[in-house]
Amino acid sequence: MKYMRNIIVLLVFAGFVSCENELDLEPQQSISIGLATDTPENINAILLAAYDIGRNTSPDNVLPLYNGNYSGEISVAVDLLGNTDQVSWNGTFSNLRDLFNKAMINDNLSALNIYADSYSIIGHVNTVLANLDKFEDASEGNRVEGEAKFLRGLVYFDMVRLYGQQYNAAGNNTQLGVPIVLLPPDVSRAVPRDTVEDVYDQVISDLTDAAALLPESNGDRADRYAALAVLARVYLQQGNFAGARDAANEVLQSSGHALTTTYAEAFDTDGNSNETIFSWVVTVQEGSNNYNVYYATQALGGRGGDIAITQAYLDKFDSPSDERRNFTYLGEGVSEGFILTSKFRRQFANVSHIRIGEMHLIRAECNFRLGTSIGLAPLAEINALRGRSSAPALGALTLDLILNERELELAFEGFTLHDYKRTERAIGGLPFNDNALVFPIPQSARDRNPLLEQNPGYN
Amino acid sequence: MNVNKLFGALIAVCCTLVFTQAQEKTITGNVVDQAGIPLPGVNIVIQGTTTGTQTDFDGNYSIIASEGQTLLFTYIGQKTESRLVDTSSIINVQMQQDAEALDEVIVVGFGTQIKRKVTDNIAKIESEQIGGIATPSFQGALIGKAPGVQITQTNGKLDGGLNIVIRGLSSVTASQQPLFVIDGIEMNNNDISSTTAPTNPLLALNPNDIASIDILKDASAAAIFGAKGTNGVVLITTKRGAQGKSTVSLDMSTSYGQPSNKRDWLNSADYITLLEEAEANSGFLASIGLTVDGLLQGFAGDQDFRDVNTDWQDFAFQDSYIQDVNISVSGGNEKTQSFISGAYTNNEGIVRGNALQRYTVRANIDHKVNDWLSLGLNSSYASTIIDRIANDNAFVTPMQAIAQIPTSPAFLSDGEINTNTLYANFLLQDKFSFRETKRRRLLGKVFAEIKLHEKLRWQTELGYDYLNQTVDRNTGRLAPFQSTNGQTFAADNGAEIISTNNYITFDTTLGEASNFSFVLGNNYTRFKNRTTSVTGDGFPTDDFRSIASAALISAGDGTFTNWAQLSYFARATYDYRGKYLFKASIRRDGSSRFGSENRYGYFPAASAGWIISEESFLSGSSTLSYLKLRGSWGINGNTPIANFGSLGLFGGASYNGESALEFTQGENPDLKWEETEQINFGIDFGFLNNRISGEIDYYKKNTEDLLFNTRVPFEASLPSHVVLQNVGSLENEGFEFSLNTTNIQNPYMTWKTNFNIAINKNKITNLPNGEDLITVRNILREGEPINSFFLIEYAGVDPANGDALYVLNTENPDGTLNKNATNDPTEAERIVAGNPNPDVIAGFSSNFNFKGIDFSFTFQGQWGGQRYNEAGKFQESGLGNGLDNQDQVIFDRRWQNPGDITDVPQARLFVNNGHSESTRYLQDADFIRLRNVALGYSLPQNVLDRLGMSRVRVYVSGLNLLTFTDYRGYDPESSDDSAISNTNSGTTFYSAPQARVYTLGLNLAF
Repeated sequence: MKYMRNIIVLLVFAGFVSCENELDLEPQQSISIGLATDTPENINAILLAAYDIGRNTSPDNVLPLYNGNYSGEISVAVDLLGNTDQVSWNGTFSNLRDLFNKAMINDNLSALNIYADSYSIIGHVNTVLANLDKFEDASEGNRVEGEAKFLRGLVYFDMVRLYGQQYNAAGNNTQLGVPIVLLPPDVSRAVPRDTVEDVYDQVISDLTDAAALLPESNGDRADRYAALAVLARVYLQQGNFAGARDAANEVLQSSGHALTTTYAEAFDTDGNSNETIFSWVVTVQEGSNNYNVYYATQALGGRGGDIAITQAYLDKFDSPSDERRNFTYLGEGVSEGFILTSKFRRQFANVSHIRIGEMHLIRAECNFRLGTSIGLAPLAEINALRGRSSAPALGALTLDLILNERELELAFEGFTLHDYKRTERAIGGLPFNDNALVFPIPQSARDRNPLLEQNPGYN
Repeated sequence: MNVNKLFGALIAVCCTLVFTQAQEKTITGNVVDQAGIPLPGVNIVIQGTTTGTQTDFDGNYSIIASEGQTLLFTYIGQKTESRLVDTSSIINVQMQQDAEALDEVIVVGFGTQIKRKVTDNIAKIESEQIGGIATPSFQGALIGKAPGVQITQTNGKLDGGLNIVIRGLSSVTASQQPLFVIDGIEMNNNDISSTTAPTNPLLALNPNDIASIDILKDASAAAIFGAKGTNGVVLITTKRGAQGKSTVSLDMSTSYGQPSNKRDWLNSADYITLLEEAEANSGFLASIGLTVDGLLQGFAGDQDFRDVNTDWQDFAFQDSYIQDVNISVSGGNEKTQSFISGAYTNNEGIVRGNALQRYTVRANIDHKVNDWLSLGLNSSYASTIIDRIANDNAFVTPMQAIAQIPTSPAFLSDGEINTNTLYANFLLQDKFSFRETKRRRLLGKVFAEIKLHEKLRWQTELGYDYLNQTVDRNTGRLAPFQSTNGQTFAADNGAEIISTNNYITFDTTLGEASNFSFVLGNNYTRFKNRTTSVTGDGFPTDDFRSIASAALISAGDGTFTNWAQLSYFARATYDYRGKYLFKASIRRDGSSRFGSENRYGYFPAASAGWIISEESFLSGSSTLSYLKLRGSWGINGNTPIANFGSLGLFGGASYNGESALEFTQGENPDLKWEETEQINFGIDFGFLNNRISGEIDYYKKNTEDLLFNTRVPFEASLPSHVVLQNVGSLENEGFEFSLNTTNIQNPYMTWKTNFNIAINKNKITNLPNGEDLITVRNILREGEPINSFFLIEYAGVDPANGDALYVLNTENPDGTLNKNATNDPTEAERIVAGNPNPDVIAGFSSNFNFKGIDFSFTFQGQWGGQRYNEAGKFQESGLGNGLDNQDQVIFDRRWQNPGDITDVPQARLFVNNGHSESTRYLQDADFIRLRNVALGYSLPQNVLDRLGMSRVRVYVSGLNLLTFTDYRGYDPESSDDSAISNTNSGTTFYSAPQARVYTLGLNLAF
């Protein structure tokens, strides 16, 4: 019996010495950073998350929450800040009301959300770029690198335009832009703002690389021409008209994208129309189209005409038969009597980011400014665009006519503010470089990172 | 009992009488105490008679008795002595101190200690103190019984969550609840409610199975539970069988309950008057072409609104009926002892549609194999079925019926439910939907004790806790807000804890004076949880309710999670001559929830005590019969709640139908437990042979490394731009005092009372970056108590025009606050306006026994806390914020004419005149409550003997019979169950009051 006791004691002792590696448990609904960055498939999936965040508004309240910068939030902010009497603001969001009234304060929610989400997209993209060595297939690796740089260039371009003063074509762009971050997420990172010049350099470098790396066709994701099209936009904003003209020209010549037959066909299509160069995919299950939220009636899924068109905008048209002038509908219910744009009637339409119409306008403007006719003569190009919408052809061009044409063609697509700034036109009595037309660095961003300097005019 | 036995008994009685007559004589003597000092007032009775006397001032007595009779000598604080009357006529007695109370066994975690030698602060509650209280949760029975332990049920729903706060809140984001350990095994106390309303995970415990509850309050006591000890530890010990005659107990009771409080709402006449006045003051209806009559008729269905006077409150409440049956058998022989019980309770709540049924069985078995090995098994199974009702913030919860207009009938003339009410008529939800939650819980433990040596014992335990919950919710097509043809939600949640304890205990004595005891052991605990749920929409008819019949499976979910903890612990206790007491312990905890850089934490503790009354200079004193000084220090931890909070994680997402990997959580390998250092000083005292005894304690708890999701620079690109970090600190400081007195003790009557009071002061001392953290209307601010209310200050009514006024509280240039009033609430600044937690809690209990009659009661009280009525902005708006029925106060005290001095502004229909969230709806929640009271009668021993029973007791009892408070809401303890979180507390929102319950019960044992 005593032997028995000794055996039991030994057995119990064995139980006493438990394995300490029992404590290394892994979650089952998530994977660790190491595992997530281990294979080319995973890197590709992280890249897709960057697209996802761009147009996501996390409707199911699963953390982290995103605001949907590219579901329309940035464009709506740009158009509210850039417009005065052409639209009316009928909504209740105080952050958007303050934008429309050019009266932002340092904790404006749009300024905060756009800033925060931008770095979330950049964090994913930088994680991808830091792990390109996982790709053994070079063409696959090039494509992923190209898409990542495309997204990064795109994001920094939007940020530098919103949070910094307009780029001065004459040079000396030492005004502050946003901090350039090129490395994966790091909790201890605290960096100051870089200059507008440096940010533009980074944007051009990223987009140029992207154009070189990306294939000519890439499904619904960014391809070479998407990168060139955004690059054309960047050069235009800088006043580099030759660069803008040539990039736009290549897109027009080689991408295969072309104007749709009618103006209406360019919008609200199932999937993308042939006019779309790049769009953010929205489906019933995924993402959100926030243009629809702010511009459409409740019956169509919107908030009921938060932004409506006024007579001042309609008066910009020289012809009542212009289809773009008539591309509207009347609100009902809470938006009773509002004139609403027909561009965003579908709740789950893809969010178009860049389309051929803009490329024509860029090439025409740059040719006109430079006195060239690369691709097509400016007058012919503008008249072709007008012709699609049954607007009468113009007899002669002026820069003002071209700029007005941009407002007729591209209204509510997020151009007003940037176009007025680069052409140094006043907005509602405020000079183009007024402090109130630049976003504040969000108070929360400065609380978190004391190195961030505030923009003039904000505390 | 047969005739022969009865006859025999009669003859015996007669014989005794005859015998007594013959041998009677006078007995005299002297009674002294342990130290030889004469004891005055000692009761002396002849056993079996009512004849008795007392000693005089010099301890002398004289009594007439007969040879063969027995004299009983009783005195408080002394053991009862009995002496047989023989031929001598002098009987001198030396009484011995009865140290029973001090020799009580205290469960301390991995062992027990005699109360006299305990150097920590531990509150013990015995089964007698919790039996017979008609509440489905054992926690509810502990209210008012332990100093410094605040127990609050969320609200009057049967399944409502219970908060136990020991010595103040010690955490902001991690657990605020104590660790529950049953028979040495950690119990799963995770709330698995399928809604945001918390439920009580410990409902599965049958209160009648509990032998005792020991609450480890100070750090030194709790330190043996290391990283989970910060909030205190509740050790539950279940009943076991004892060697000897088997005892069968049967306890039955039936109860009737009703709300402990109802409020006064306007009747139709007053409502119409108020509405007409409010419309006259604002002209709102006229401006949109409506009239009061037209408006009200719209809600009256097929009746004339003038004829309707609905008391909606009466529909929300129902009569509550409770049946309880409990049977237990305990007993055993030298080798095997067992305790077996079964219980059933059927509980209909006071809120319409709320019910709970519970079946429990338990078998605790001990078996001694031989002189060195004994084994045992604890097992219990509980099945709990709960009919739940909607959260407090749902339109369809019964309590929100009080918002309905009194001129709106509940039912139409044909008996159908009126669907044209102001808000969705909850009666539709009551009739066409259900939410049934079933919980099955298995708690088991096998254990063995091996005596390795006379002084060395080995204990090994394997515990298992399985909690399964299924939820079946169905909303029929006619229920409010049901857009599809019915919806069914079915969910399954299974959580298990496997836990092993292995420890050796070594007790020895060195010489005659030094006693040592050592414990050394380890613990391994593993938790696993699996959940699934599915939602189906669209059923052919309301008769189809299972997922299989759904036209569309609209949602589904499934998760797995787990954690593990591995711990080693050691404890040494030493005393010298039972006078100088020392204890030290250390525990090393490793947890999967800690970051890789802080995988293990060490939690030391030490305490010492000095029993001064054992010293020679005090040992002779009978005035100061017991005096002990105690001091303790220790460090406890509070484990993070997130199972994988330290890991950098990626989760699933999708883009254009392709799977994506999204960064979901930033990494913090340094993540660790919150750490609390606590000191405690205490005095235990006893006067007059411990007839008056008590404890005084002072403590200070400093909690550091509080867990917060700290905000990091956006440029860091982390998910949600936060990372879980250990920053921040807070402190609790307080006094506890308890006093036990034996007011009367003699063979016929005893009367004992207990009074306890605790004062706690809580203060946040450090927050991330020193910034205020505001959650709706609670604020965390350095220097203020945790979760203080943060509101604009209501300043009453302008007598000139009836405008509601608010104090500006804007900062003046000199830093003071501008106390001028404004009628524009947006101009007023918020201030720290109150504290959701009380500063002072107290309990007062008393027990009387007179012959067979017992009477006991417990009062509880709280002071210094507030409650915010979030529904005030609807219930007390003067119809400015909707047509909700109003509190009677709004009608009675409203401003009507210039010069009226009142605090209720002029009623203005759909105009904000005073209904902004402000201190107007914040009230002191001080109260004194008669928590429970019981009156019982037990049959005397001679009758029991005749009946062959060992106990027959009938009793009536009451729960929450009286509440003394100035609080105007339903219940100063009730709070909103829809928004409860660590940082959003003290708010009530259509929250039901607790039940007032009357019980008639019977206890039988043989």
